[in-house]
Amino acid sequence: MFDIFNVYMPIAEMQFNALILVAIGFSVGVLGGFFGVGGAWVVTPALNIFGFPMAYAIGTDLAHIFGKSIVATAKHRKMGNVDMKLGFLSIVGSVIGVEIGAQNVMWLTKLGLAGPIVRYTYMFLLFGLGIYMLYDYATKDKRAAAQAAKAAAAARAGVAPPARKSWNIPPMIHFPASGITISFWTVTGVFLFTGWLSGFLGVGGGFIRMPALIYLIGCPTAIAVGTDLFSVLFSGAYGCFTYGIKGRVEIVAAILMLIGASIGAQIGVTAVKYIRGYGIRLLFAIMIILAGSSVALKQFGFNTSAAWVVMCAALGMCLVIMIKLYNGFKKEQAGKAAYAVKEGT
Amino acid sequence: MKRLSVIFLNFLLLSVPGTLVWAAAEKAEALEKKVNLANLSGINYLFAKWYNENMWLYAIIVTVLMGGVGMLIALVTDVILKMIGMEVSKIEHHE
Repeated sequence: MFDIFNVYMPIAEMQFNALILVAIGFSVGVLGGFFGVGGAWVVTPALNIFGFPMAYAIGTDLAHIFGKSIVATAKHRKMGNVDMKLGFLSIVGSVIGVEIGAQNVMWLTKLGLAGPIVRYTYMFLLFGLGIYMLYDYATKDKRAAAQAAKAAAAARAGVAPPARKSWNIPPMIHFPASGITISFWTVTGVFLFTGWLSGFLGVGGGFIRMPALIYLIGCPTAIAVGTDLFSVLFSGAYGCFTYGIKGRVEIVAAILMLIGASIGAQIGVTAVKYIRGYGIRLLFAIMIILAGSSVALKQFGFNTSAAWVVMCAALGMCLVIMIKLYNGFKKEQAGKAAYAVKEGT
Repeated sequence: MKRLSVIFLNFLLLSVPGTLVWAAAEKAEALEKKVNLANLSGINYLFAKWYNENMWLYAIIVTVLMGGVGMLIALVTDVILKMIGMEVSKIEHHE
């Protein structure tokens, strides 16, 4: 029945189901627009499961990520979620870090140690980050109460509340969009580190940069999402072009995935409007713990199960985001209707 | 004195990137293949022809097309979302 959706891929020289490509693009678009990530870690295993030729998988994915991130970044910018100054700095730091990470991996490869070290580092990072973000979410009210108590005590004593510890080595840079003033060296160091991790692990790095922007730089969550997408746009463009030159982009597949991703990204970005920062962090934590489980399954040889876990996690998370968007939208409409009635009376 | 120490610290920190080695790490090799143009027509034929004849042109077309198609779909979806009342504007950031 679904054979009617088969389309000929001229570069891969095979038929492939267009509906699968649009659906993969759509789910990755929703996740990308909502979390500020590229989504390659979902696309590659998903394409693998459905028999897409792997020679073209990464290049085709990067091509569609570029198109999708233009859509998502433009919309986040409209919402005031893109700190372009911070985004440009992140690109500079990340590029240097990625190259160092890649060199380190090449050195480890020569020693025959790359495989297990990279995989275990990846698992440690995903599980560690996910668990930390869950802990952050679980203790947010307790920490907010403690901070309020400290501020109240300071006010009673007639002194300023204790300043948050920070590394204030000049030059200090102010990022008006994020509302933070931070040392240039802190920002550069953080992005060097996240870039190094990306290059070392061989990943795009969106899922590393987003929490780094929140926890190490101090960005509000929605701005971390939008700013991260801004960086993904540049890495996507670079990846699209370089893989295009290497002949590794199946253009028809990329267009089909982009159609789904562009629609999905609009939905994902709009959903950010209806969910508070900590809600986004909670969903992100769940997402990367599931991704870590997939990596663990792959490490122990369960490749097919690993791919299914990541795909089901992506689809499930997509559904959650769309439900939250729908509920938020209905609540907003009900509020508007009630206000209109009140104004009418 | 503080200004001098700041300048000194900055010089020290600026020397760090100078010790780094740029990698020319090629993450994937170029695929050496030619697409069979027989039985292809229309846009598929054009894509395959560019792919065979000029990889740089193919890469530029892919990149431009991805950007253009993405923006076009975004525009259309924006209009549809606006029609159903799901418009976005600047938001307040609540954690």
